[in-house]
Amino acid sequence: MSGRQTFEALVLPHLDAAYNLARWLLRDPSAAEDAVQEASLRAFRYIDSLRGDDARAWLLGIVRNTCFTVLERRRSAPEVVEFDESEFEAALGATGHGGSDPAALLEQRKLRTLLDAAIRALSPALREVIVLREFEDLDYAQIAQIAAVPVGTVMSRLSRAREKLRSVLSQSNLGH
Amino acid sequence: MSTEDDDLSALIRQHATHHAAPDGLRASIRTQVALEDARRTPLPAAPRAADAPPRRSWFSFGWGTASTSFALGMLCMALLVPLAQRVNFGEPLDADLVADHVRALQSGSIAEVMSSDRHTVKPWFQGRLDYAPPVIDLASDGFPLVGGRIEHVRGEVVATLAYTRNRHVVDLFVWPSSEHKPTVRQVRRGFNVVHWADGSMQYWAVSDMDREEIESFTRLWQQRTAAQ
Repeated sequence: MSGRQTFEALVLPHLDAAYNLARWLLRDPSAAEDAVQEASLRAFRYIDSLRGDDARAWLLGIVRNTCFTVLERRRSAPEVVEFDESEFEAALGATGHGGSDPAALLEQRKLRTLLDAAIRALSPALREVIVLREFEDLDYAQIAQIAAVPVGTVMSRLSRAREKLRSVLSQSNLGH
Repeated sequence: MSTEDDDLSALIRQHATHHAAPDGLRASIRTQVALEDARRTPLPAAPRAADAPPRRSWFSFGWGTASTSFALGMLCMALLVPLAQRVNFGEPLDADLVADHVRALQSGSIAEVMSSDRHTVKPWFQGRLDYAPPVIDLASDGFPLVGGRIEHVRGEVVATLAYTRNRHVVDLFVWPSSEHKPTVRQVRRGFNVVHWADGSMQYWAVSDMDREEIESFTRLWQQRTAAQ
Protein backbone atom coordinates (compact mmCIF):
# COMPACT_ATOMS: atom_id res chain seq x y z
CA MET A 1 0.00 0.00 0.00
CA SER A 2 1.33 3.42 -0.88
CA GLY A 3 1.54 6.09 1.79
CA ARG A 4 -1.48 7.77 0.37
CA GLN A 5 -3.53 4.58 0.31
CA THR A 6 -2.56 3.87 3.91
CA PHE A 7 -3.58 7.40 4.84
CA GLU A 8 -6.95 7.08 3.10
CA ALA A 9 -7.68 3.65 4.49
CA LEU A 10 -6.47 4.01 8.08
CA VAL A 11 -6.34 7.68 8.97
CA LEU A 12 -9.11 9.43 7.06
CA PRO A 13 -11.91 7.35 8.66
CA HIS A 14 -11.06 9.03 11.98
CA LEU A 15 -11.57 12.54 10.69
CA ASP A 16 -14.70 13.11 12.76
CA ALA A 17 -12.88 12.16 15.96
CA ALA A 18 -10.00 14.42 14.95
CA TYR A 19 -12.32 17.33 14.27
CA ASN A 20 -14.30 16.80 17.46
CA LEU A 21 -11.11 16.92 19.55
CA ALA A 22 -9.81 20.01 17.76
CA ARG A 23 -13.20 21.71 17.97
CA TRP A 24 -13.39 21.12 21.71
CA LEU A 25 -9.80 22.09 22.38
CA LEU A 26 -9.79 25.25 20.29
CA ARG A 27 -13.46 26.17 20.87
CA ASP A 28 -13.68 27.63 17.39
CA PRO A 29 -14.86 25.94 14.18
CA SER A 30 -12.51 27.53 11.69
CA ALA A 31 -9.45 27.19 13.94
CA ALA A 32 -10.41 23.54 14.38
CA GLU A 33 -10.59 23.03 10.61
CA ASP A 34 -7.18 24.60 10.13
CA ALA A 35 -5.67 22.49 12.89
CA VAL A 36 -7.13 19.23 11.54
CA GLN A 37 -5.95 20.11 8.06
CA GLU A 38 -2.45 20.78 9.33
CA ALA A 39 -2.42 17.69 11.53
CA SER A 40 -3.65 15.50 8.65
CA LEU A 41 -0.88 16.67 6.36
CA ARG A 42 1.59 16.00 9.11
CA ALA A 43 0.07 12.55 9.60
CA PHE A 44 0.48 11.88 5.89
CA ARG A 45 4.13 12.99 5.98
CA TYR A 46 4.86 10.67 8.87
CA ILE A 47 2.59 7.86 7.74
CA ASP A 48 5.55 5.44 7.81
CA SER A 49 5.78 5.85 11.57
CA LEU A 50 2.29 4.37 11.93
CA ARG A 51 3.25 0.74 12.38
CA GLY A 52 0.62 -1.47 13.85
CA ASP A 53 -0.44 1.34 16.15
CA ASP A 54 -4.03 2.28 16.71
CA ALA A 55 -4.50 4.77 13.87
CA ARG A 56 -7.17 6.73 15.71
CA ALA A 57 -5.07 7.28 18.85
CA TRP A 58 -2.07 8.05 16.65
CA LEU A 59 -3.98 10.69 14.68
CA LEU A 60 -5.54 12.18 17.83
CA GLY A 61 -2.04 12.55 19.27
CA ILE A 62 -0.97 14.60 16.26
CA VAL A 63 -4.18 16.66 16.35
CA ARG A 64 -3.74 17.29 20.04
CA ASN A 65 -0.16 18.51 19.62
CA THR A 66 -1.19 20.80 16.78
CA CYS A 67 -4.01 22.26 18.90
CA PHE A 68 -1.80 22.86 21.93
CA THR A 69 0.70 24.65 19.72
CA VAL A 70 -2.15 26.89 18.55
CA LEU A 71 -3.30 27.44 22.13
CA GLU A 72 0.18 28.34 23.28
CA ARG A 73 0.52 30.88 20.51
CA ARG A 74 -2.92 32.26 21.17
CA ARG A 75 -2.90 32.82 24.87
CA SER A 76 -1.39 35.97 26.28
CA ALA A 77 -1.45 34.87 29.92
CA PRO A 78 -0.93 31.32 31.16
CA GLU A 79 -4.21 29.51 31.75
CA VAL A 80 -4.06 28.61 35.39
CA VAL A 81 -7.76 28.27 36.13
CA GLU A 82 -9.15 24.78 35.86
CA PHE A 83 -12.64 26.09 35.28
CA ASP A 84 -13.26 29.46 33.68
CA GLU A 85 -16.47 30.85 35.22
CA SER A 86 -16.75 33.75 32.78
CA GLU A 87 -16.36 31.40 29.81
CA PHE A 88 -19.03 29.19 31.31
CA GLU A 89 -21.48 32.08 31.83
CA ALA A 90 -20.80 33.39 28.32
CA ALA A 91 -21.31 29.99 26.70
CA LEU A 92 -24.44 29.40 28.72
CA GLY A 93 -25.91 32.76 27.80
CA ALA A 94 -24.95 32.54 24.13
CA THR A 95 -27.55 29.92 23.26
CA GLY A 96 -31.10 31.18 23.17
CA HIS A 97 -33.94 28.93 24.22
CA GLY A 98 -36.73 28.44 21.70
CA GLY A 99 -40.04 29.12 23.47
CA SER A 100 -42.16 26.81 21.34
CA ASP A 101 -40.34 23.59 22.27
CA PRO A 102 -42.26 20.93 24.12
CA ALA A 103 -41.11 20.78 27.72
CA ALA A 104 -39.08 17.57 27.42
CA LEU A 105 -37.21 18.78 24.39
CA LEU A 106 -36.51 22.08 26.06
CA GLU A 107 -35.13 20.24 29.05
CA GLN A 108 -32.82 18.23 26.78
CA ARG A 109 -31.66 21.33 25.02
CA LYS A 110 -30.93 23.00 28.32
CA LEU A 111 -28.94 20.01 29.40
CA ARG A 112 -26.91 20.05 26.21
CA THR A 113 -26.23 23.78 26.52
CA LEU A 114 -25.23 23.35 30.12
CA LEU A 115 -22.94 20.37 29.49
CA ASP A 116 -21.34 22.01 26.47
CA ALA A 117 -20.75 25.23 28.38
CA ALA A 118 -19.29 23.38 31.35
CA ILE A 119 -16.88 21.32 29.23
CA ARG A 120 -15.97 24.44 27.29
CA ALA A 121 -15.05 26.24 30.48
CA LEU A 122 -12.58 23.56 31.62
CA SER A 123 -8.90 24.29 31.17
CA PRO A 124 -7.42 22.72 28.00
CA ALA A 125 -5.63 20.00 29.98
CA LEU A 126 -8.85 18.91 31.71
CA ARG A 127 -10.96 19.35 28.58
CA GLU A 128 -8.58 17.13 26.69
CA VAL A 129 -8.93 14.16 29.03
CA ILE A 130 -12.71 14.50 29.14
CA VAL A 131 -13.02 14.53 25.35
CA LEU A 132 -10.65 11.61 24.88
CA ARG A 133 -12.28 9.54 27.62
CA GLU A 134 -15.98 10.35 27.23
CA PHE A 135 -16.28 11.08 23.53
CA GLU A 136 -13.62 8.79 22.13
CA ASP A 137 -13.80 6.11 24.79
CA LEU A 138 -10.03 5.75 24.96
CA ASP A 139 -8.46 3.98 27.93
CA TYR A 140 -6.13 5.66 30.43
CA ALA A 141 -3.00 4.28 28.80
CA GLN A 142 -4.00 5.60 25.38
CA ILE A 143 -4.88 9.01 26.79
CA ALA A 144 -1.58 9.11 28.66
CA GLN A 145 0.25 8.41 25.43
CA ILE A 146 -1.64 11.04 23.47
CA ALA A 147 -1.29 13.74 26.12
CA ALA A 148 2.30 12.70 26.86
CA VAL A 149 1.71 12.51 30.63
CA PRO A 150 1.84 9.60 33.11
CA VAL A 151 -1.29 7.49 33.59
CA GLY A 152 -1.60 8.80 37.16
CA THR A 153 -1.86 12.35 35.83
CA VAL A 154 -4.59 11.29 33.42
CA MET A 155 -6.55 9.76 36.29
CA SER A 156 -6.20 12.79 38.55
CA ARG A 157 -7.09 15.20 35.74
CA LEU A 158 -10.09 13.12 34.84
CA SER A 159 -11.27 13.04 38.42
CA ARG A 160 -10.83 16.81 38.84
CA ALA A 161 -12.65 17.46 35.57
CA ARG A 162 -15.53 15.19 36.56
CA GLU A 163 -15.80 16.74 39.96
CA LYS A 164 -16.01 20.17 38.40
CA LEU A 165 -18.64 19.09 35.88
CA ARG A 166 -20.70 17.38 38.57
CA SER A 167 -20.68 20.45 40.77
CA VAL A 168 -21.82 22.63 37.87
CA LEU A 169 -24.60 20.18 37.05
CA SER A 170 -25.80 19.89 40.62
CA GLN A 171 -25.85 23.67 41.03
CA SER A 172 -28.23 23.90 38.11
CA ASN A 173 -30.43 21.05 39.43
CA LEU A 174 -30.23 19.25 36.15
CA GLY A 175 -27.59 16.70 37.01
CA HIS A 176 -27.61 13.72 39.25
CA MET B 1 -14.95 3.87 38.30
CA SER B 2 -17.76 4.92 40.60
CA THR B 3 -21.44 4.95 39.72
CA GLU B 4 -21.29 8.71 39.92
CA ASP B 5 -18.67 8.68 37.20
CA ASP B 6 -20.76 6.28 35.14
CA ASP B 7 -23.74 8.60 35.40
CA LEU B 8 -21.71 11.57 34.34
CA SER B 9 -20.17 9.63 31.45
CA ALA B 10 -23.59 8.58 30.25
CA LEU B 11 -24.82 12.14 30.47
CA ILE B 12 -21.90 13.51 28.47
CA ARG B 13 -22.06 10.78 25.88
CA GLN B 14 -25.76 11.26 25.40
CA HIS B 15 -26.16 15.00 25.66
CA ALA B 16 -22.93 16.90 24.98
CA THR B 17 -22.28 17.95 21.40
CA HIS B 18 -20.28 15.63 19.18
CA HIS B 19 -18.84 17.76 16.44
CA ALA B 20 -18.66 16.04 13.05
CA ALA B 21 -16.08 17.17 10.53
CA PRO B 22 -17.55 19.55 7.95
CA ASP B 23 -17.93 17.99 4.49
CA GLY B 24 -15.52 20.38 2.86
CA LEU B 25 -12.75 19.43 5.26
CA ARG B 26 -12.48 15.84 4.12
CA ALA B 27 -12.32 16.88 0.46
CA SER B 28 -9.79 19.56 1.14
CA ILE B 29 -7.53 17.20 3.07
CA ARG B 30 -7.71 14.58 0.34
CA THR B 31 -6.76 17.20 -2.25
CA GLN B 32 -3.85 18.47 -0.21
CA VAL B 33 -2.58 14.97 0.43
CA ALA B 34 -2.86 14.16 -3.27
CA LEU B 35 -0.95 17.31 -4.14
CA GLU B 36 1.75 16.56 -1.65
CA ASP B 37 1.94 12.99 -2.94
CA ALA B 38 2.22 14.22 -6.52
CA ARG B 39 4.92 16.66 -5.55
CA ARG B 40 6.95 13.88 -4.01
CA THR B 41 6.66 11.47 -6.92
CA PRO B 42 9.19 12.32 -9.63
CA LEU B 43 7.45 13.45 -12.80
CA PRO B 44 7.82 11.21 -15.87
CA ALA B 45 9.58 14.01 -17.74
CA ALA B 46 12.12 14.62 -14.99
CA PRO B 47 15.71 14.28 -16.25
CA ARG B 48 16.54 11.86 -13.47
CA ALA B 49 13.98 9.34 -14.73
CA ALA B 50 16.51 8.09 -17.32
CA ASP B 51 19.05 6.70 -14.89
CA ALA B 52 16.55 5.40 -12.36
CA PRO B 53 14.59 2.18 -12.80
CA PRO B 54 11.18 2.99 -14.27
CA ARG B 55 8.69 3.99 -11.61
CA ARG B 56 5.26 2.52 -11.45
CA SER B 57 3.25 4.26 -14.13
CA TRP B 58 0.68 6.83 -13.17
CA PHE B 59 -1.81 4.88 -15.26
CA SER B 60 -1.40 1.42 -13.78
CA PHE B 61 -2.94 2.09 -10.40
CA GLY B 62 -6.25 0.62 -11.40
CA TRP B 63 -8.21 2.93 -9.15
CA GLY B 64 -11.06 3.09 -11.56
CA THR B 65 -11.86 5.89 -13.92
CA ALA B 66 -12.76 8.53 -11.38
CA SER B 67 -9.62 8.13 -9.35
CA THR B 68 -7.47 8.01 -12.45
CA SER B 69 -8.97 11.27 -13.61
CA PHE B 70 -8.32 12.71 -10.21
CA ALA B 71 -4.72 11.56 -10.33
CA LEU B 72 -4.38 13.02 -13.82
CA GLY B 73 -5.78 16.30 -12.58
CA MET B 74 -3.28 16.27 -9.78
CA LEU B 75 -0.50 15.46 -12.23
CA CYS B 76 -1.50 18.49 -14.29
CA MET B 77 -1.42 20.56 -11.14
CA ALA B 78 1.95 19.18 -10.22
CA LEU B 79 3.24 20.13 -13.67
CA LEU B 80 1.61 23.52 -13.75
CA VAL B 81 2.25 24.69 -10.21
CA PRO B 82 6.06 24.73 -10.54
CA LEU B 83 5.68 26.38 -13.96
CA ALA B 84 3.43 29.02 -12.49
CA GLN B 85 5.83 29.46 -9.62
CA ARG B 86 8.72 29.96 -12.02
CA VAL B 87 6.92 32.93 -13.48
CA ASN B 88 7.76 35.97 -11.48
CA PHE B 89 4.49 37.66 -10.71
CA GLY B 90 6.23 40.92 -9.94
CA GLU B 91 6.76 39.82 -6.35
CA PRO B 92 10.42 39.68 -5.41
CA LEU B 93 11.84 36.38 -4.22
CA ASP B 94 12.31 37.58 -0.66
CA ALA B 95 8.55 38.19 -0.38
CA ASP B 96 7.97 34.50 -1.22
CA LEU B 97 10.51 33.45 1.38
CA VAL B 98 8.93 35.64 4.03
CA ALA B 99 5.57 34.07 3.14
CA ASP B 100 7.08 30.57 3.50
CA HIS B 101 8.59 31.54 6.84
CA VAL B 102 5.27 32.90 8.12
CA ARG B 103 3.33 29.88 6.86
CA ALA B 104 5.71 27.47 8.58
CA LEU B 105 5.38 29.37 11.85
CA GLN B 106 1.60 29.58 11.59
CA SER B 107 1.21 25.90 10.92
CA GLY B 108 3.79 24.96 13.54
CA SER B 109 5.75 23.01 10.93
CA ILE B 110 9.10 24.72 11.03
CA ALA B 111 10.86 21.36 10.90
CA GLU B 112 10.06 18.09 9.17
CA VAL B 113 13.12 16.67 10.82
CA MET B 114 13.35 17.90 14.39
CA SER B 115 16.86 17.68 15.71
CA SER B 116 19.54 19.90 17.12
CA ASP B 117 22.14 17.47 15.82
CA ARG B 118 23.50 18.39 12.42
CA HIS B 119 24.47 14.77 11.85
CA THR B 120 20.76 13.95 11.95
CA VAL B 121 19.56 16.90 9.94
CA LYS B 122 22.11 16.76 7.14
CA PRO B 123 21.52 13.10 6.20
CA TRP B 124 17.76 13.75 6.27
CA PHE B 125 18.16 15.86 3.14
CA GLN B 126 19.73 12.90 1.29
CA GLY B 127 17.35 11.60 -1.30
CA ARG B 128 15.18 14.66 -0.93
CA LEU B 129 17.56 17.03 -2.69
CA ASP B 130 20.06 16.67 -5.51
CA TYR B 131 22.58 18.73 -3.58
CA ALA B 132 24.02 18.61 -0.07
CA PRO B 133 23.38 21.82 1.84
CA PRO B 134 25.85 22.67 4.59
CA VAL B 135 24.31 22.19 8.03
CA ILE B 136 26.08 23.97 10.85
CA ASP B 137 25.58 23.78 14.57
CA LEU B 138 25.52 27.22 16.16
CA ALA B 139 24.22 26.17 19.59
CA SER B 140 27.40 27.28 21.33
CA ASP B 141 26.88 30.72 19.79
CA GLY B 142 23.30 30.97 21.02
CA PHE B 143 21.50 29.84 17.87
CA PRO B 144 20.46 26.24 18.50
CA LEU B 145 19.37 24.26 15.45
CA VAL B 146 15.71 23.20 15.55
CA GLY B 147 15.69 21.09 12.43
CA GLY B 148 15.18 21.15 8.70
CA ARG B 149 12.46 21.01 6.12
CA ILE B 150 11.96 21.28 2.38
CA GLU B 151 10.35 24.28 0.79
CA HIS B 152 9.36 24.69 -2.83
CA VAL B 153 10.34 28.14 -4.03
CA ARG B 154 9.62 29.03 -7.65
CA GLY B 155 10.23 25.52 -8.89
CA GLU B 156 13.37 25.02 -6.81
CA VAL B 157 13.48 22.43 -4.06
CA VAL B 158 15.03 24.38 -1.24
CA ALA B 159 16.69 23.10 1.92
CA THR B 160 15.43 25.11 4.87
CA LEU B 161 17.16 25.11 8.24
CA ALA B 162 15.47 26.53 11.29
CA TYR B 163 17.40 28.00 14.20
CA THR B 164 16.07 29.74 17.30
CA ARG B 165 17.19 32.45 19.62
CA ASN B 166 15.10 33.71 22.54
CA ARG B 167 11.88 32.40 21.05
CA HIS B 168 12.62 33.97 17.66
CA VAL B 169 13.00 31.63 14.73
CA VAL B 170 15.35 32.20 11.85
CA ASP B 171 14.81 30.24 8.66
CA LEU B 172 17.84 29.79 6.45
CA PHE B 173 16.93 28.86 2.88
CA VAL B 174 19.81 27.24 1.01
CA TRP B 175 20.10 26.14 -2.59
CA PRO B 176 22.87 25.95 -5.20
CA SER B 177 24.16 28.95 -7.09
CA SER B 178 27.47 29.55 -8.84
CA GLU B 179 27.29 33.27 -8.18
CA HIS B 180 29.16 35.24 -5.56
CA LYS B 181 27.04 37.87 -3.89
CA PRO B 182 27.89 40.15 -1.00
CA THR B 183 25.67 40.16 2.08
CA VAL B 184 22.63 42.37 1.65
CA ARG B 185 20.02 42.98 4.32
CA GLN B 186 16.50 44.11 3.51
CA VAL B 187 13.37 44.54 5.54
CA ARG B 188 10.22 43.04 4.16
CA ARG B 189 6.93 43.33 6.06
CA GLY B 190 8.87 43.85 9.24
CA PHE B 191 11.04 40.77 8.74
CA ASN B 192 14.76 41.01 8.29
CA VAL B 193 15.90 39.20 5.15
CA VAL B 194 19.63 38.69 4.63
CA HIS B 195 20.94 37.31 1.37
CA TRP B 196 24.39 36.23 0.19
CA ALA B 197 25.94 33.68 -2.16
CA ASP B 198 29.38 32.07 -1.86
CA GLY B 199 29.86 30.57 -5.32
CA SER B 200 28.50 27.20 -4.25
CA MET B 201 25.24 27.99 -2.48
CA GLN B 202 22.93 30.94 -2.12
CA TYR B 203 21.56 31.76 1.30
CA TRP B 204 18.49 33.64 2.45
CA ALA B 205 18.00 34.14 6.16
CA VAL B 206 14.51 35.29 7.22
CA SER B 207 13.55 36.23 10.75
CA ASP B 208 11.76 38.69 12.97
CA MET B 209 14.81 38.95 15.20
CA ASP B 210 16.41 42.37 15.23
CA ARG B 211 19.13 43.60 12.96
CA GLU B 212 22.14 42.93 15.21
CA GLU B 213 20.98 39.39 15.93
CA ILE B 214 20.39 38.37 12.34
CA GLU B 215 23.66 40.00 11.30
CA SER B 216 25.48 38.12 14.02
CA PHE B 217 23.81 34.90 12.84
CA THR B 218 24.90 35.65 9.27
CA ARG B 219 28.48 36.40 10.30
CA LEU B 220 28.74 33.20 12.32
CA TRP B 221 27.35 31.15 9.49
CA GLN B 222 29.75 32.67 6.97
CA GLN B 223 32.76 32.13 9.21
CA ARG B 224 31.83 28.52 9.84
CA THR B 225 31.17 27.65 6.21
CA ALA B 226 34.41 29.33 5.17
CA ALA B 227 36.29 27.26 7.77
CA GLN B 228 34.81 23.95 6.60
